Amino acid sequence: MKSVSVYKEIVPGKKWFATLVTRIFFFFIGMGMQTAYRIDPEVKKEVDSWPETFSFRMAVVGGPSMLMLKKEGSFQYLGEKEAFYSDVEMWFKNISFAYLIMTGRISVPNAIYHNRQFVKGNLAYGMSVIRVLNVVQTLLLPNVIARFYIKEVPKLTFQKMINRVITYINIGYGAIK
Amino acid sequence: MLFKKNVMIPEYYEFFNSVKVISGYKALETIPFELGRLGAKRPIIITDKGVSQAGLIKHVVDSFAGTDTVVGAIFDETPQDSSNVVVNQIAAIYRAQNCDSIIAVGGGSAIDTAKGVNIVITENTDDLLKFMGNYRLNKPMKPFVVIPTTAGTGSEVTMVAVIANPEKNVKMAFTSDLLLPKFTVLDPRMTASMPPKITAATGMDALTHAVEAYIGPQKNPISDAFAAAAMELIRNNIVAAVKDGANKDVRLAMANAALLAGLAFSNSMVGIVHATAHATGGVCHVPHGIANSILLPYGLEFYVGKSPKVKEDIESLLLHLAGPEVYVQTPPAERAAKTIAAIRNLTAELKKLSGLPVRLSETGVTEDKLERIAQTALNDGAVAFSPVEVSLMEALGVLKAAY
Repeated sequence: MKSVSVYKEIVPGKKWFATLVTRIFFFFIGMGMQTAYRIDPEVKKEVDSWPETFSFRMAVVGGPSMLMLKKEGSFQYLGEKEAFYSDVEMWFKNISFAYLIMTGRISVPNAIYHNRQFVKGNLAYGMSVIRVLNVVQTLLLPNVIARFYIKEVPKLTFQKMINRVITYINIGYGAIK
Repeated sequence: MLFKKNVMIPEYYEFFNSVKVISGYKALETIPFELGRLGAKRPIIITDKGVSQAGLIKHVVDSFAGTDTVVGAIFDETPQDSSNVVVNQIAAIYRAQNCDSIIAVGGGSAIDTAKGVNIVITENTDDLLKFMGNYRLNKPMKPFVVIPTTAGTGSEVTMVAVIANPEKNVKMAFTSDLLLPKFTVLDPRMTASMPPKITAATGMDALTHAVEAYIGPQKNPISDAFAAAAMELIRNNIVAAVKDGANKDVRLAMANAALLAGLAFSNSMVGIVHATAHATGGVCHVPHGIANSILLPYGLEFYVGKSPKVKEDIESLLLHLAGPEVYVQTPPAERAAKTIAAIRNLTAELKKLSGLPVRLSETGVTEDKLERIAQTALNDGAVAFSPVEVSLMEALGVLKAAY
C-alpha cells in the first residue's frame, strides 16, 4: 500500500482565454444594457418597471461577473463590482459554459433549457431582464449572428441600425474611459 | 439544436428528483416507519377544511395507531390561496407543540403552505419575502411529507411554492430543490371523495403538465418517459374516474399519472398554456386545472402554426393521447390536427359528464380582461420555456381563440 504522503492535492488549472473572452462579453453586454436604456423604448419601459436601486448581476461561478444598477433615472454598468445582494442574478455554472455561450456555440435559450445557467431571484423580474438582454443582443450583433443567441430576431429597421451605431460608439467610449 | 439529427438525445440535460414515492392500497400506514427513518416522531399535519370535513385526515391519523409517533397538531384552516399570515400562524403552532416534521395533506394550497412553513421554521424567520425567488434557500429543511388529495398538481414532486403576501399585494414564488418532500404517499382513499368536476379539472391539469413537458425545449429521455406514461394512464382512466369515483384502481392510476406528469414537467418545464393559465388564474381567479384544460388545445394550435419543429413533437403526442391504433391509421400530415382533436373530444366528453368548461367565457372571464391576462402571462416564468418566442399579441391571440 502506498504511503498517505504520496497523495497530493490537485490545484485546478486556469482557463485564462475563456475567462478573458467572457470578461469582454460581459463588458459589451453591460455597456449595451446601459446604452439600450437610453435609446431603446422597449428596454426603457422594462427597466422603468423595476424598483429603484434594482440590481442585476451576471456571473460565472468562481469566475468573472458584471453588475448593473438602476439608480436615480439611470441604468448603470458597474463592471465587476461585488454586491452582497442582487435582485436578479444570472449564473453560469462553469466558465466553459459561459465561453460556449459567449462564442455563440450554445444559444442563450438553449443554455437555459440545458440548465447550464440559472436565474436567482424574483422570476417575474428575471423574465423582464431576459427580454432586455434579448433587445441588447440585437443591438450588439448582426441579425445573422443574433439568431444564435435569441429565439426570434426582430426585423432590421433603419432606427435599429442607428441604435446599433450609437451602442458601439458608447461601448468604444466606455472602453477608452 | 436541441436534438442532434436522427439521434433522440439532447446534447445536454439535467434531471433531478429526490422524492421517495409510496403508492398503493393502505399506503398511508407506512408513514410512521418512514418518518422514524428520518428521525421524526412528532409531525404537524397541515390541511384544509374541505379535506378534514371529508374525513380524510382520519385515515392519516389512524395510520399512526399502534406506533409511538404522535401527531403534534392538526391545522385544517388553510385558505384556498395560501398566505404568509397563515404560514406564520402555523409555524407558531409548530414551535409551541414541539413538532419535528411536517405532513401536508391536500391540494396545491395546503402543500404550498406547508412548504412555506418549512422555510419559516428552517430559516428561523417570520419574513418569507427575504427568501422569495429562485435558489434563495440554502439550509437543509425539516422532514416533509406530502399526501395529495387531488390528482393533478403534481406538487408532491415539484420544487416550487407560491404564497401570497396580501399586505404587499404580491404572489411570492419560491423555487428550490430543498422544498421537495422526503417522501410522498399516494393512497386511493385520499382521492376517492373528489367530486366529478374537480376530478376532471385536476386530471386535465395533469394532462397539460405531461403534454407541455413532452413538447418543451427542456425535454429529455427521462422526462419523456414520465410524460408518456402519464398521458397513457390519463387516456385510459380519466373518464372512468369522473364516472365512477369510488373505483380505487382508477383513482390510484390517476394519482400516479399526476405524479408522473409532475416529475416530467418539474424537469422539462411548461410553456404558453401554463403561462396563460397562471395569468388567467391570477387576474380572474379561474381554477388552475380548468384554465389549463380550456387553453391546452389553443396553445397547441399556436405552436403548430408557428414552429414546424414543435409540430413534429405534437404529431408524436398522438400516440400517447389517442393510442397506437389511431396513431398508425393517421397519415403523418394529419397527426398534429388529430392530437388537438383528441384533446377537444376528451374535454367535450368531460364537459358532458361533469360540466367542465371548455371556453374562457364559461368561467366568468370577461373579454376586456384578456389583454391584462396576456400582459401578465408574458411575465410568467413558463414563457421562458416556451419552445417559441411569444409576443403580447400572440398570447392575446391564444386567449381570444379560447374565449
